[in-house]
Amino acid sequence: MSGVIKKDESGVYQRVVLKNAAPYHYVNVCLVLEDESTKLSAVEFKQFITSGLKSLYGEVGAALAFDVLKYNEDKRTALLRVNSRGLVKLWSSLTLLGSYQNQACAFRVLQVSPYLLALTGNSRELQLD
Amino acid sequence: MVRVKRRYLLCEVNVSKRSDLLQLDDRAVAAAVRAAVALTHGDYGAAHCLVGFSVKYLNAHTGMVFLRFPKRCYKLLWSALPFITSIEARGQKIPCFLNCVHVGGTIRTCQKFLIRYNTQQLHRMLPKCKDEEEKQQVREAILQCSLPGGKKEAFEDELESEEDEEK
Amino acid sequence: MSVDVSHAPRSVLVCDRSSFLDEKNRISSQLQQLHFNYKVSLLLPECSSAPSHLDSVLKSFSSFYLIRNMPIYELLDKHFLETAVYQGSVSGLSHRTRIDEENCVALMPNGRLCLSLDKHSFQVLGVEGKPSKFNHKTKNRFVVSVDLTDSSMAPGGRGYVRLLTGLRSRLHLRTDFLLSHHPGGGASLQHLLSRYDWSEHRPEISSRVLTDLSCPALLSSDPQPGDAHSFLEWLGAVDADISCENSSSSFMSSLVCPEPKTMLDKALSVSVCGLLRPQDVHRLVQQLRRHLEQPGPAPWASLTVHGFVDSPVSWGDGEHGVLIGGENFYNLLMFQDHTYHLHLATGSHDPCPQ
Repeated sequence: MSGVIKKDESGVYQRVVLKNAAPYHYVNVCLVLEDESTKLSAVEFKQFITSGLKSLYGEVGAALAFDVLKYNEDKRTALLRVNSRGLVKLWSSLTLLGSYQNQACAFRVLQVSPYLLALTGNSRELQLD
Repeated sequence: MVRVKRRYLLCEVNVSKRSDLLQLDDRAVAAAVRAAVALTHGDYGAAHCLVGFSVKYLNAHTGMVFLRFPKRCYKLLWSALPFITSIEARGQKIPCFLNCVHVGGTIRTCQKFLIRYNTQQLHRMLPKCKDEEEKQQVREAILQCSLPGGKKEAFEDELESEEDEEK
Repeated sequence: MSVDVSHAPRSVLVCDRSSFLDEKNRISSQLQQLHFNYKVSLLLPECSSAPSHLDSVLKSFSSFYLIRNMPIYELLDKHFLETAVYQGSVSGLSHRTRIDEENCVALMPNGRLCLSLDKHSFQVLGVEGKPSKFNHKTKNRFVVSVDLTDSSMAPGGRGYVRLLTGLRSRLHLRTDFLLSHHPGGGASLQHLLSRYDWSEHRPEISSRVLTDLSCPALLSSDPQPGDAHSFLEWLGAVDADISCENSSSSFMSSLVCPEPKTMLDKALSVSVCGLLRPQDVHRLVQQLRRHLEQPGPAPWASLTVHGFVDSPVSWGDGEHGVLIGGENFYNLLMFQDHTYHLHLATGSHDPCPQ
């Protein structure tokens, strides 16, 4: 993390540049299951991701703190918040999660950003037809 | 000439019964380390353990172990060592813990450290002896175990194998 | 070799504080930096319906066109250049092309045409370009940037012919294309539109009234710019409709509103989506200032503008790309005493905003 501060004499104008200072990263994920009718509650969803972290990164990985900010039970999409240091760990364990209760599954990472605001304005979602 | 970068961890195995130490062998210690790494760091850590990890030397009398780790991930693997609570050797479980006393880049520096460390320990122990006779006994015991033969040869082997790695 | 798993990709956040009354403020030039705006969202505290003057500005955002499967050489059409590009009244962007996978095209209002091409397309096109600065080592993406108003690019000129034949006979680049134009400039586009399947779109407005919202206490003289991230997080949570009422021991989420906080009885969140022109955004900012001047309980107003993720340019003429997310957006927080906080946020493949 670093910051550059420029201030002019009157003190009215101030400019601060924060580099790599984002404390969290936000991930928009979607869980795709073979059997579309399977129901997953938010708690089961989080538990499932934690189990994936545990198998790839062990007890240390399972202790990684991440939050499920929003979960849509019908579409099985979720907004996750994770510490910036844990982003790569979370992402890689999501990638390697391949089965849920003996059925094939996959996580689709739809969007990743250091700002939660960016997830609400994704221009790739623009539908004009 | 590129050298494969390693880290050597000099650890002492602490057991409650000293006689248990004689039961230990290289493979038992390696298996215990692998199991601890797999538990704390999962598949990611276990995979790091596959290449470049080995137990280079084990002194079953003093309980000194040299563990060799690849340099790039030795901190990760090191962090798993405190989670070793027992080592299974020859069918029995020996409760113990590992205490890391030195981290070195070559076996030679670890050996030098070990000799210095043991000397220090001796200087610390000698004043605690109750009388002259006991001190004399200790000195004789030391002379006996440092006789040319057993231990020294083992070290020479290690040094040779270290030079092999210097490509 | 092993990869460090505890490092996140680069990101930059610029926080500016100044006052509208300061002559040296650069707010209008800063707002013009993003040429292709996808979404504008407003958050107005203590407000349950948009004031009429704001509403009329929101409704007057100019419409834009979607041209389906348009060959890019159409942008070099002589008639189009003369009636639209030279007037500086038109800007456009390829639609549904992902800049990390496909070829993207942008036509900037100053008459610059910017193509972000993969290596194969670049070699087929045969026009001078530069390797993308974000993967200059592998050199698998190239940027071709030409100024259409330059004399060598005048119809019939050497550069013009080379680019036109490249696009027409060698690289058959066709994409869906979004075009926006000056209000009233639609006639100049008719010649182009008549030849392709096109549709006109109005920016989509949606609004939401939020009640009993916990909100960080925002002060214009807040000396600590370090909590910019937590403020933006809170704003994102409001925008994404995420509850901030969590206890620290909650299993699901520990997101909370930053301290010190206050409660808002009601707040209005309005968003506009589409290809929006920076001039429209600028008008909206002026109206918001007027809204704040009126006596009322609203102590501040926030405006967030998101740029297009797949635009080849952002922050002026800088090159833009996508590594993990191509976010380029800014947030303008305005206070009653004419001071403002401007946060400019970028992702990994972006220049630092000025």
